[in-house]
Amino acid sequence: MSAAGGAVQAQPEPLDESETRRRPYGLLLVAAPVLLVGWLVIWPIVSAVIRTLWQPADDGGYEFTLETYVFFFSDRYSLDNLTVTLWTTGMCALFLLVICLPISLYLRFSVGRLPAYVQSLAIFPMFVPSIILAYAFIRVLGPNGMVDILLNAVGLPKIRTPYLTPWGPVIGLVWDNIPLTVLILLSGLGNVSNQAIEAARDVGARWLQVLWYIILPRIGNSILVALSFSVLGIFSSFTLPYVLGPAAPEMMGPFMQRTFRDVNDPQMAITQAVITFGFCIVFGLFYVRSVARNRGK
Amino acid sequence: MAETLTIPRGRIDFPGIGFAIVLSAVIIFPLIVVGTWAFTEVWRYPNVVPQQFGLRFWNQTLSRADVWSALTLSLQLSTVVTLLSAAICLPAAYAFARMTFPGRNVLFFSFLAGHAFPKFGLLVAIAAIFLQLNLIGTFWGVVLIQLVGTLLFMIWIPVAAFQSVDRRMEEAARDVGASPLRVFWSITLPQAGPTIAAAVLLSFVGTFYETEGAWLIGAPGIRTMPVLMITFINNQMVIQYGAVLSVLLWVPSFIALLFARRIIGGGAFARGFGG
Repeated sequence: MSAAGGAVQAQPEPLDESETRRRPYGLLLVAAPVLLVGWLVIWPIVSAVIRTLWQPADDGGYEFTLETYVFFFSDRYSLDNLTVTLWTTGMCALFLLVICLPISLYLRFSVGRLPAYVQSLAIFPMFVPSIILAYAFIRVLGPNGMVDILLNAVGLPKIRTPYLTPWGPVIGLVWDNIPLTVLILLSGLGNVSNQAIEAARDVGARWLQVLWYIILPRIGNSILVALSFSVLGIFSSFTLPYVLGPAAPEMMGPFMQRTFRDVNDPQMAITQAVITFGFCIVFGLFYVRSVARNRGK
Repeated sequence: MAETLTIPRGRIDFPGIGFAIVLSAVIIFPLIVVGTWAFTEVWRYPNVVPQQFGLRFWNQTLSRADVWSALTLSLQLSTVVTLLSAAICLPAAYAFARMTFPGRNVLFFSFLAGHAFPKFGLLVAIAAIFLQLNLIGTFWGVVLIQLVGTLLFMIWIPVAAFQSVDRRMEEAARDVGASPLRVFWSITLPQAGPTIAAAVLLSFVGTFYETEGAWLIGAPGIRTMPVLMITFINNQMVIQYGAVLSVLLWVPSFIALLFARRIIGGGAFARGFGG
């Protein structure tokens, strides 16, 4: 998108005849990373689907079965984990939109030092590893944390700490995802021309109308991209829910990890993984399509 | 044009002040609290300010054997992963930027595949494969899983760098008789260098903080720095350990990332994520 100043272009410039190579040396040069993607991205996914659907049968062969999926969807605990994951993802998406859209709108239509400061703050969490964020969260919002200290100092009661409740991961994940959401929305807002807005203002449209009729339709795609990206990251996030969330019900990330390592049931763990793929497939496809279309321009 | 839409000078920018205050409180304040804890010796609830500042816990943290072994291991892992990644990705990036070959576009976008799936689900699927190969709990298992995580950045950013090199300068050098290698060394590399260096830096820092793959594949044998910090946080042994490690590790990585971002630019970041 034009607002993004990056020089990244997927398409090659038209090649000079002198530069055209008839023999595919290029294939040799790209072979190693491509094979790595094939072996460690494509194959594990295909293999996970196959291994969970065709399982060893009594007669020594393999048979088609939905056994592990039936177990997942009839197991109360698994379903609770799935529900809390969906709830967390939904809440995060909602909060991200409510927080980041006003920030991006403000940044798009302001110039000067204050907006520059606001922008650098909004981008800042990108530079904070999530493990440090988790630690800071506990020191600030945890029991007897900084917020409790300050509330106590002015004579107010303590907060009910979100640490180890489902709200813990929500707060942490929203914090973590603000930068990219703001950047993607800002990039989309770059496509909204000033003339369109001025024209609308000239005929007497109020700001709310401008927002609804002029701005939102033009950045709809960016909003969807930002949400898809966050959903993909949040749905199977591990570190923040593991450190900040409750022990039960847990989000799919910690659940899969525990099933794989502690319960030592890889078959069930990859079933859970395939189920997360299923829930995210729409967002994943949409995200890839948008990126590919952008790069292809 | 832009001026008429922005807030006129002289009027107070209330929304801006609001955002600045709220974001400072939410984003900077927690990090200041962590920074304060790192230099605190005694801080009992409900005092607003620590009773005693000091460096005692820096000594204690840095004299722990597990901290040093985790730090060495993390640095080793990041170095090996970054070198391997550069070795396989940079030639590939050059090929994507400059050569034509069958399937070029499909292969270029295949690196997105890893980002189209929820990450931890993918890690579990990989772990199932590693289980059969006995790579769980090994150094090279973690190297492989972290290497996959660097591919997209290490290919897409250098491709952009190679494409932005001025082709006319290369052709001019060829015209006056420079060999292709010489052209690459003296013309192409100096121009593409800073962006490539930024990508390398990014993958080093990113690998250093990679937690999920190291936790799932590496445990219990491979304890990297972030894995050690999770155990510090969960066991809540001494509050200051986590704070000292946070400050110690975060400051260098912050400077490095700031440098990388200056070169790559926020726009390219957003584009890389589909903005």
